[in-house]
Amino acid sequence: MDHLIAAAIHDAKNSLSSLGVWLDKARGEHDSAALHHAADLAARVNAQLVELLALHRDGEGSLRMAVADHNLADFLADLQTELPPGAERVLQVSSAEALGEWAFDAYLVKFVLLDALRNALRHAHAKVKLNAVIEGGTLHIDIDDDGPGFPTIVLQGEQGAMNAHSSGLGLVFARTIAERHRSPDGRHGRIELSNPKGARFRLVLP
Amino acid sequence: MDLRGKTGLLIDDVSEMRNAVRIQLADAGIQSCDSVRNVKEAVVKLTARRYDLVVCDYNLGQGADGQQLLELVRRNTLLPLTTAFLMITGETGYEQVSTAAEFAPDDYLLKPFTSDVLATRLSRILDKKEALAPIYKHMGAKGDKALALAACDKVLAEQPRYATDVQRLKGELLLALNRIDEAQALYESVLQQRATPWAAVGKARALAASGKDDEAKDGLQQALAAYPNYLAAYDSLAGLLQKTDKAAAQQIVEQALKVAPSTRRQRQLGSLALENRDFSRAEEAYKRAVDKDRTGFFKSFDDYAGLAKSCSEQGKTQEALAAVKDMGVHFTRTPELAAHQAATEAEVQLKAGNTAAAQAALETALAVCKDANLAPETALAVAQACFASGRTNEAKTIIQAVAEDHHENDEVLAQAQSVFSAAGMQSEGAVFLEATRKRMVKLNNDAVAMAKAGQLDEAVTMLAEAADRLTNNCQVAINAALAVLMQAQKQGPTPEHFAQALRYILQARKVNADHPRLGEVIAFYRKLAPPGTPPIPEQ
Repeated sequence: MDHLIAAAIHDAKNSLSSLGVWLDKARGEHDSAALHHAADLAARVNAQLVELLALHRDGEGSLRMAVADHNLADFLADLQTELPPGAERVLQVSSAEALGEWAFDAYLVKFVLLDALRNALRHAHAKVKLNAVIEGGTLHIDIDDDGPGFPTIVLQGEQGAMNAHSSGLGLVFARTIAERHRSPDGRHGRIELSNPKGARFRLVLP
Repeated sequence: MDLRGKTGLLIDDVSEMRNAVRIQLADAGIQSCDSVRNVKEAVVKLTARRYDLVVCDYNLGQGADGQQLLELVRRNTLLPLTTAFLMITGETGYEQVSTAAEFAPDDYLLKPFTSDVLATRLSRILDKKEALAPIYKHMGAKGDKALALAACDKVLAEQPRYATDVQRLKGELLLALNRIDEAQALYESVLQQRATPWAAVGKARALAASGKDDEAKDGLQQALAAYPNYLAAYDSLAGLLQKTDKAAAQQIVEQALKVAPSTRRQRQLGSLALENRDFSRAEEAYKRAVDKDRTGFFKSFDDYAGLAKSCSEQGKTQEALAAVKDMGVHFTRTPELAAHQAATEAEVQLKAGNTAAAQAALETALAVCKDANLAPETALAVAQACFASGRTNEAKTIIQAVAEDHHENDEVLAQAQSVFSAAGMQSEGAVFLEATRKRMVKLNNDAVAMAKAGQLDEAVTMLAEAADRLTNNCQVAINAALAVLMQAQKQGPTPEHFAQALRYILQARKVNADHPRLGEVIAFYRKLAPPGTPPIPEQ
């Protein structure tokens, strides 16, 4: 059964990948807002499947982090190219040029941040800020929005807090991926949620 | 970085993908691009010319993958460090691509991707290659590591954006130059800023190099707990464990194989399992090595020989002989092949109790060994077969010749030691090899001392005799050339001096073009040679 789950997710991902190719082709022939949204939706479903697969493998003990150095400025620049349409109007990214490199699993962390960014963009009034800083031997990546903030139940760590927009999968995934980032001296990553003004999603990586 | 005018090589076994990526490369500005389907064609292209960048799909069919190809061409120096290597992969291959082995791609890209993304990534890598070029210049086959190290400091000051890459190169260079304390200090200073796998493994390697094996092992275990995908850590740890605990080393190699498959690691596993007398596991590993690689570029004689031995040890004589035969099917007919086949067959027949057949095969192996100038691994395989048949003196004669030729090469000496150990002569072998090594060192030292004391004629006589006898010893040939040139300098140069010196220089270069002292003697030759002297031919 476990094997079937992984195989089924892979199949679905392959189909989505084909769907993406067709959508690209359609947009090449005649672009429209509807196709744009369809493509974005396909990307979101793909992201959910990536998260599901990672969690499944984590449960089986076969999730291996691919930790390597990445230039933070390049990484954040690449991230923005994958955001949904219109995001550039609201997103402010502080310069990470001076931060240099950090060691993390760029593939999985990208999905953590994309999910958090989508969430922030959905709830923001006018502005979302993406900011990376290095503090005391750890990397903080903050996503701040100027919306109503996280509901109390989410702040209290209720992971299964479902609503119309979210199954809670994204947050479970984010916490798992953060926690699986370890340093040889035994520190590990975490997610911190707070409401300083709007909502603040913070990924802390050792 | 403007990509126009850059030259590229595209490697992908699927023609639709090749066409699609080729169009994307053209969109990115790269008009001049060769594309090939497989490892063989890639090796041909890379041998013929150099490219600015290589774009390679991870999955190459025929049991080959881009990572193994990368290792092959970087090891053989077919792919200079200045050439960028971008791996493309589907999501399922990404875990294997992002494993940071000893030879890692400069970047990898997940399919599907747009032309824009491809262009961004390529120009990023090429910018980096350009910034690091002053270091790479001194890191090639004929490079000078000390100059490379000096270039590191210069680039570090001028290009702070690439500080991490320069620090990594610097650490590698310090380790290679045996400046262990400085290497350790560098890795520790990086680790004080942040945790990162390459510095954790680098520090462990520095500890191991200064004899602190236990601390090194602890460090690597901790690194692997945090970075389970970091193949370089498995390789270092297996290397350390191999010295004391072969069962534990075998386990680590098994784990590494779960992270990423590779013919080289299957071979390593097979060899460890053989030594651990875990014959069914050895058979399995060698079988994978010979079956999986259908290109023939990654497997070796050892894979078939190992398969034959592991079958033979389990009483499967027919399978073992089939493996010996297969070796002949998969490799070109050369003396190396003939010697390997005959030596392996001798051991298999002996184990099966067929004394006459064993002896006939061994005679064949010995005849080839006598006639041809065999690679050290091949000669040692023949020596091992001699030991197995109780022909100890012949085995020792072969090993002595190998050790005299390669007395500076620790890897060859370790292989020779393991042939002794396999024959149950561990301590006798250690004494024998150490004595041979010391004799060679003494020969060189004595001759150099004589030359320094002004007894040049005696030094030349002694070294020329040694160089003419030990034609595969690089250091002896270099010293012989130096002594002849010193003689020329002191007694007035004659054409004979230069002819003799040139012969020894070429002899040394044929054995090891990378020998650290070869550059010195070539420079001396050029300095002394009057106009009209034959120049040293380019390689």
